[in-house]
Amino acid sequence: MKSQAIAAERAVPAEIGADSRKRALKFLLTLAITVALFGIVAQALVVVQVRPQEFITGFHGMADFLRRANPPDFSQLGLMLWPALETIDIALFGTLAGIMMALPLAVLGARNVTPALPLYYVARGIIAYCRSVPDLVWALLFVTAVGLGPFPGGCAVAVHSIGMLGRLFSEVIEDMDMGPVEALTLTGASRLQVFTHAVVPSVAPSLLGIGLYRFDENLRSSLVLGFVGAGGLGFQLLTAMSLFQYRTVSLLLIVTFVLVMGAERISAALRRRVL
Amino acid sequence: MLEVTNLSKRYPTGRVALRRANFRVEAGELVIVLGSNGSGKSTLLRCIARLIDPSEGEVRVADHDMTRLKGRELRRARTALAMISQHGNLVKRRSVLANVACGALGRIGGWRSRFGMLPAEELEAAHRYLAEVSLQDFWAQRAGTLSGGQAQRCAIARALAQRPRVLLADEPVASLDPEAAEDIMKLLRRLASEDKLAVVCVLHQPELAFRYADRVIGVKDGAIEFDLPAAEAQRLDISSLYTARAA
Repeated sequence: MKSQAIAAERAVPAEIGADSRKRALKFLLTLAITVALFGIVAQALVVVQVRPQEFITGFHGMADFLRRANPPDFSQLGLMLWPALETIDIALFGTLAGIMMALPLAVLGARNVTPALPLYYVARGIIAYCRSVPDLVWALLFVTAVGLGPFPGGCAVAVHSIGMLGRLFSEVIEDMDMGPVEALTLTGASRLQVFTHAVVPSVAPSLLGIGLYRFDENLRSSLVLGFVGAGGLGFQLLTAMSLFQYRTVSLLLIVTFVLVMGAERISAALRRRVL
Repeated sequence: MLEVTNLSKRYPTGRVALRRANFRVEAGELVIVLGSNGSGKSTLLRCIARLIDPSEGEVRVADHDMTRLKGRELRRARTALAMISQHGNLVKRRSVLANVACGALGRIGGWRSRFGMLPAEELEAAHRYLAEVSLQDFWAQRAGTLSGGQAQRCAIARALAQRPRVLLADEPVASLDPEAAEDIMKLLRRLASEDKLAVVCVLHQPELAFRYADRVIGVKDGAIEFDLPAAEAQRLDISSLYTARAA
């Protein structure tokens, strides 16, 4: 008994030694990570050429801009209704076309339901490519291809949506509970029957929710697409800016705000109903 | 009705999960399979249902050799064989009625069913199958709202809609409370005795097995240890089934 107690006492200092070494190592590691994080943020500030003093020296210019932009020129409102509708419809067309093309790709690109592995890779490749090219770049490409106007805008939104929706859709399908699929396969149902009776009802509400959310995002991006000549409010904004019609610009910003908030509210309300 | 001959399964990893299993189940018989976790009970059922392909042996269901069939013929042969598992495996977003009618999909051809629709006469029949499992008042609910025991009964109704000759049940009461478990076992018993189905049920509860089964099959290390009438199996020391296998 006694010898054991002594042995235990002797063991204690050694343990403390190991413990403090471990703690020192942990401290050094934390320090290194902190320094590295600060380094990363610092280089970002340098590369972006952050100069907060320009806000002060530029204060006069901004005040001038605000003075010239007020009050908003509401007499132009009637003229803006058509471009506003164009913007909404670009988002609507882009979302619907995107959903229609993303659905089959998502089915092929979901590991658990894909008919063949090569198709899975092809579908995932197309989806990733559509997503990795920004919608603004797609708009530039489509303006070159089909000319100015809302149509290239709609196409750009559609193609970019394929990328975003395709990925989310296939993730929803992959996360699906495979139990019902197995159960229906065992009843002797064909592949297509299993798909329409087990897969579709299980994932449809989530897909609809994602689609509605996408509409709301697409409305925002269709506003910007006008800058590269793809119609809608963005094009009006660009024109007004280059003609120094700042009161029209401020009107357009108000219209934009109303549209975006409206779309967000409506899509959120609809999503609550389907989920 | 169900005849299993020399059924073996060796996984690609080399593990042998099933060794030369032989047994028959006649119409009207309820056979319960007992065994510890990993003893090969589930592999046995999954091989019979062709959810996994056996490496050797033959499974005859209503005189079709299930192990040799492919594609459309396999699908047709499968309609004679229904399976329920531990979880109801219902389509939670659909109504209870539609879930039951889905059991008939193997018999329904045509474009309408491929687009997700179910024929009116099958929905009509589904009401009767729901009545058989005492769920007739729940037909309009979403399947996701059912309790565990109700979901399992709904799964049985779906299996009935298939009009099978053989019913496989893989631990159908494992996630249910004792009362719901009794209900399910009574139901399986009745389906065997009255509807003359051949029922094979994997269980973890020996006392349920002895009370409800006609025959009890004990499985250990992938091989059938005994296959006896319930009364004789009860006299056996079945604890040997659950002792760790020799290293």
